Amino acid sequence: MNDKKQLLSAEQVDFLTEMMNIGAGNTATALTQVLQCPVDIVLPRVFVIADAQELSILTSPSLPVVCVRMNMVGDVSGGLFLIVPEEQKEDLIRLAEQAMTGTGQSWRAGITNSKADDLKLSVIAEIGNIVAGVYLTAVHDFCKLNIYHTVPTVATDMVQALLDESLVRLSRQVQHIIVIENEFMVEEKLIKTFLVMIPSVESVDILVNSIGQARIAMVKDGG
Amino acid sequence: MQNKIEVTMGGGAVTAAPHIISSSGLGSCVVVTLYDTERKLGGLAHIMLPDSISLNGSHPAYKCADTAITTLIKELRSMRASPRNMVAKLVGGAKMFLSSDDFGPCIGEQNIISVKRILKRRRIPVIAENTGSNYGRSVEFYLDSGKVMVRAIGREDKEI
Repeated sequence: MNDKKQLLSAEQVDFLTEMMNIGAGNTATALTQVLQCPVDIVLPRVFVIADAQELSILTSPSLPVVCVRMNMVGDVSGGLFLIVPEEQKEDLIRLAEQAMTGTGQSWRAGITNSKADDLKLSVIAEIGNIVAGVYLTAVHDFCKLNIYHTVPTVATDMVQALLDESLVRLSRQVQHIIVIENEFMVEEKLIKTFLVMIPSVESVDILVNSIGQARIAMVKDGG
Repeated sequence: MQNKIEVTMGGGAVTAAPHIISSSGLGSCVVVTLYDTERKLGGLAHIMLPDSISLNGSHPAYKCADTAITTLIKELRSMRASPRNMVAKLVGGAKMFLSSDDFGPCIGEQNIISVKRILKRRRIPVIAENTGSNYGRSVEFYLDSGKVMVRAIGREDKEI
């Protein structure tokens, strides 16, 4: 299995982490506006995983989560997922509701339960939309790559069950998964999310080369 | 002493009664259990892909349906199991997102079709299955009885 040569070097992973730090900072700003309360960010941890099986290092494969699935299109194609552990879903939704109604009173009053669940999930989908947009902007600013994301779809289930199809489909040969673990502090609650980028086989080279070049450019600029 | 062997995605294991083999977080992946009803030996594979043809070079044996089933049978034979006494059960092969058709037909369905075709060729009957639909599953395979327990979030446990 020598076809894993495209793995990022340690320096490149550091650079990627720095890029994602900027993304995380901007995410905190965006969420502060959306949720209308201060959102503090704990610096993100970035993992570059070479094999789908290694995902189990990060979480238990059967962890119940809400997962927002998008696709990346443009210079880099592939899958993009925002994952929120199920136990934090309600916190996030409550904060979003507060911001929307301004009172903390539910705007779902009078709506049947099953419809209310759909609405709750669409709140998470919208947060996924925002977070993905902010991170892809950070990638654009550093690497000059234009990546867009498609309309999100949401599902709730075990984390590995939700990801396995995309992992299999997008990484038949070279496997290269970028996982950004984010922790946000909102009203003294810690909300943990994972942003998972699975570049398609055709895009991995483009992404890795761009990260490499952007890092060199930055090292030169910095002196 | 009853041991539990945990199989991860793309992995597999064989053992004998009274042990348990488990695997969790199945979406489009398919778990195949083979069980020798006479000798109470069995194996479980957590299969990710319908075939190994599209893969270049070496890959873990249990990752693809064709190589996974061949390997399971070989391992069980080396424990003196007989393919004539073997029965199979299938779990998984779901389609998790409604709109996951952007990259072609869904992998879960392909996995199930492929596994069934290979088992038919090997003359191993599929005696039970819990496949398809749109939810994730976890399984426990009990080697003393050959029973497979299927668990899913928000659903009752199901024994097949």
